[in-house]
Amino acid sequence: MEENREITVLAGLVNWAVTILCWVYFIFAFLLFFSWFYILAFCLSRNRERSFQYLNHQFFKGFLGLLRVLVPARQWRIDQRIAKIRGSIIVCNHRSYLDPLILLSLLPRSKTIVKTIFFKAPVFGWLMSVSGYLPATSDGKNGARMIKHLENMGTFFEDGGNLFVFPEGTRSRGTDLRVFYRGVFKIARMYHRPIEVLGLSNTDKLFPPGKFVFETWKQDIIRMERIGCVNSAVRTRRVSVADLEKEVRQIFQKSSMFAGAL
Amino acid sequence: MTRDELQERIVAILVDEFEFEDPGLDDNLRDDHGFDSIDAIELLAKIEEMLGFQISRKEKEQAMSIRTISDILDFIETIQAAHKN
Repeated sequence: MEENREITVLAGLVNWAVTILCWVYFIFAFLLFFSWFYILAFCLSRNRERSFQYLNHQFFKGFLGLLRVLVPARQWRIDQRIAKIRGSIIVCNHRSYLDPLILLSLLPRSKTIVKTIFFKAPVFGWLMSVSGYLPATSDGKNGARMIKHLENMGTFFEDGGNLFVFPEGTRSRGTDLRVFYRGVFKIARMYHRPIEVLGLSNTDKLFPPGKFVFETWKQDIIRMERIGCVNSAVRTRRVSVADLEKEVRQIFQKSSMFAGAL
Repeated sequence: MTRDELQERIVAILVDEFEFEDPGLDDNLRDDHGFDSIDAIELLAKIEEMLGFQISRKEKEQAMSIRTISDILDFIETIQAAHKN
């Protein structure tokens, strides 16, 4: 009994230590190292958006690398094909705040759709704005931002960029998929881009929703796999958004990662 | 193009391209037909094609506040008049 209590206390301490180290990376790696490159890119780069996306990729690659070292109990199985995806729309189920960071660490040229409120955050909002991320709504200043980025999206895709989106809009629990927001399917249809479908599991066990600290002690496997692609349908001008959504949902349902999901 | 002709063409685009069912002139586009800002940008591109000139960024930003088909028709008439001048 006493021994179990000691193990629980120790586990809690390790969880806090890992969390603090990750925050140290977030703050100090940015301030002492990456911020200089962001400033240089902002002042000198001919394509700020592309440079910022590459820096975001490197920053989160470092973060995920550190996390993997600090949490050896969790195994990571990331499908190698994901990092090779280019010029596509990527949709993925959403389990934890770690999910976008994993995708940023894998994709050097990527954009995503972000909750509008994040654009108001100091520094962070500016970084996302220069990186070309799209706001989820088009009210006020965000209307201009959305028009600008959506109109440039064709060139972005042709240049090999990917737009990754969590169509559920928020983190899901269990294997059930929430209702999808349709914006991403509209963009796929508008630009005739393939929709790569990724399945993700267990990031919520490492960083549970509603908690501040990582759960570092439990052994399991974090997986991200390419489970399918909708390609031919988006090439058709007349495909309906509802059909695209249905096809993507079917890919999720057929995957072993979502067996039984509605 | 008269307002009636404009209305006919816009309704046809909304039905054919945006999957609207029985659109009414004063329906709320977002609430009644799920029309969002991405659709608005796609529709603006189609309006540009239809009118044969480019809509300025400022005009597009104004269009983001459109709520009904009547608003779309008003918007088109306004930009047509501005481009004639």
